Parts: sequence; structure tokens; C-alpha cells
Amino acid sequence: MKITIVDYGMGNISSIIGALKYLGVGVITVSNSLSDIVSADKLILPGVGSFPTAMNNIKKLNIDKYLRDSVLVDKKPILGICLGMQLMADSSSEDSYSQGLGFVKGSVRRFSESSLKVPHMGFNQVVIKRNSKLFKGLNNLSDFYFVHSFRMTSDADINQSECTYNDKFIAGYEHGNIAGVQFHPELSQTNGLKLLNNFITYF
Amino acid sequence: MLRKRLIFTLIYNDGFFTQSRNFRLQKVGDISWLEKNYGFKDLAFSLDELVILDASRESRSIVGFADTLSRLVENVFIPICAGGGVRCMADVEVLFENGADKIILNTIIYENKGLVDDLIKKYGSQSIVASVDYKKNDVFIKNGTQKIDMKLHDYVDYIDSLGVGEMYLNAMENDGTGFGYDLETAQKVGKNISMPLIVAGGAGNEKHLIKGLMTNHIDAVATANLFNFIGNGLPDARRGIIFNNGNIAQWK
Repeated sequence: MKITIVDYGMGNISSIIGALKYLGVGVITVSNSLSDIVSADKLILPGVGSFPTAMNNIKKLNIDKYLRDSVLVDKKPILGICLGMQLMADSSSEDSYSQGLGFVKGSVRRFSESSLKVPHMGFNQVVIKRNSKLFKGLNNLSDFYFVHSFRMTSDADINQSECTYNDKFIAGYEHGNIAGVQFHPELSQTNGLKLLNNFITYF
Repeated sequence: MLRKRLIFTLIYNDGFFTQSRNFRLQKVGDISWLEKNYGFKDLAFSLDELVILDASRESRSIVGFADTLSRLVENVFIPICAGGGVRCMADVEVLFENGADKIILNTIIYENKGLVDDLIKKYGSQSIVASVDYKKNDVFIKNGTQKIDMKLHDYVDYIDSLGVGEMYLNAMENDGTGFGYDLETAQKVGKNISMPLIVAGGAGNEKHLIKGLMTNHIDAVATANLFNFIGNGLPDARRGIIFNNGNIAQWK
């Protein structure tokens, strides 16, 4: 099994590598080259930071084209984590309007004003969609580690599992070969390892 | 529901992990010792986050610290916050490259606002933790050795205006005593800031942790007390918190 972690220069990926190693993934590559994306069995789109900056980097490196071919045409399984999950949506209003990769229907915007502190940081409980492959074997309301100021919502049915922090938002989605999680499975103890293992096993 | 957090702080000093008592450091063992005697992976299983601070005073080497950091985090699947003696962007890059998810800053917060701004721009607010060492109303920087010209409440306001992600509030007088946290000050500070608050300094047993977690405006409790919490201390404390209906995460 070869997993390519798509590198566009944003986000700490050492914990993701550590988790994949722990789960026994044979080849783990951190790369943005076409060949590593094409030759991978599965892709992970990581990311921490700003949506517009990330999209700029992705376009500059032509990753958007590579991913479109692999994900939409070849149907290669992909898991977006945190910002990576948001980038696969249609758009974000972070800073100003920016277009996302558009692999799934949905938009990203800031948490609405409330007394709650932003970023939403720490473990929080996820309301798990019953037929989810990603959360298979995990109890409803399992805890995962979140760090984010922007959140994704969608009108479409992308098999959303949800979390609430003032606003309800998507904690995880899955749409065919495309999956995303707002939290960091690589920082979520055994719950996160289980989820990553589900992605490896069932997608 | 957003959970509160239990954090362990490891203090690294010239190759060794140490126990701090009122900021006087006592060497306990190096990373091999920690791995061998306590199975750090098992210990981390009871934690929500890990802070690792470089308090080296004699031979400061970010490379040595980063190496220990990368060994430590190998099989640990929780957020790691690293810092201590961070002075420039290059230091921060090294720590992120070696497994840190967040950076904790102390002296820089006071001395170099420009760098803090740059770090927030590059890594995001959520990656930066501001550490505050205080004694009564006074604030200290440089490993607690230098008093600054701002009082605690003014300094806290200043930090709130920086846009950093979290505050790590350490009561120097309670540090290493095991007598419990200064919850009165922590609560006042927590009420006035718009970021999550981690309280540190003084936890000696699981009751202190529980009391801290049950206090309003406190988002996380940290302990650096190796002697009291290593071994079964942390797993027992976590079970105790859950048993007392403390709002912390659970995993199988």
C-alpha cells in the first residue's frame, strides 16, 4: 500500500506520517509530484492555515489538476484533514471569497459571533452518521481533536457526521471515494487511529 | 460538547527531563530513562496534550532539543506543544519540522511583537501559545529571572490583543509545590481573555486537577510534576476525572 500525503507546504504532517507508520502502511510519500499522486493507492490532503493561501499554493504547483484527474476521473480514494477537508469544498469566505477544489458540494465560513472562544480547540464529540465507513466501529459521540476557526456546511447529502460548537458543522463527510474530516485523526488518540485505519481499509 | 483538557508538561534541561520546584530544576532522567521506566506511550494515552519545554540554561542546543522532541512524539497521537528559549523564526521552523503542532512562547511575547505577528501570519493563531509566568501581580520572563514593567492584568490584556491561540498561565509561587493551583487568579484571567486558558503550577494530586477542570473559565489543566504523576498517576487521574463527571474526552 502506498499513501501519498499531498505536500503544498502547509501544515504539520509528522504526526500523520507517524500514525500511518503505526498502522503499518508500507510506503508513505510526502510529495506534490504527478508521479507520486498517480502511483499512490490512496491520497491524504492535509493542511493547517489559511484557505486562500493554500489554494494559491495548490494552483501554483498544478496540484489542482493532478488531483482532479486522480480523484474525479480515476476515483482514487482521498482523505482531507482539517484545512484539506475544507479545500475540497466549493468555496470559502475566509479573507474574501475563494474557490475551492469543488470535489464535494459545500462552503466554508467563520464561526458566527458568540460567547464561545474561536478557534474551536480541543476534543469534541461527533454525531456519527449511521452508515458511515469512516467512523465504522466508533461509538456515536466519540471524541476527536479539533483546531479550527472556519467550518464547513453543505446542503447536499455527503453523508455528514456532525459536530456542534455554537454552530452545527460538518465533522466528517464521505462521498464515494472522497472523504474529509474537520478534526485531526492523527492527534485524536485511538479514536483517530481507528478512523485512519477505516480509511485505509474501506476506501 | 467541547471538552476540557489534561496536559502534561515535560521540562527538558541539557539532555534531561526535570522536576521543577519554584523554578529550581532537578534532573530526573533522559529520554531513554523515560521510555524505559515509564513507557511514555502509555503515559501519553492518559493525556489530551503534551507540552515540552526546553529550560536548558547552560548549553542551549535547539538541535538536541528537536532530536529529543522527534523521538518523544514518534508514537504519541496527541497535539504536541513545544517551546522554551524560542528566539527566531528558524527556531520555530525546527520545532515544527520535528513534530510540534504548536509553539509555546514566553520572552518573545514581551520582547518581540513583530515576530509573534509573523508567526501568527505564517502558522495561524491556533499554533501559538503564550506562556505567562507570574508571581502575585508581577510577570517574569527569561525562565522566571526577569521582572517586566507590566502588571499581570495589563499583560494579559496585551496578550489578548496579539491574536495568539491560547494562554498558558503558570503560578511561579505554586510551581512544583504540589499544593494546588492558584485558581482565583486563573479564573479572573480566564474571564477577561478571548482565548482558551491553560492553568499550570501547583498540581500535586488528582483532586487538584479535578478542581481546576471544574472551575469556570479554565479550559485546560497542566502539570509538570513528574514525581507525583508518573507511573499510574496520570491514568488514575484521568479515570478519577471521568468518574467525577469531569468534562474530558474519552477513548477506548
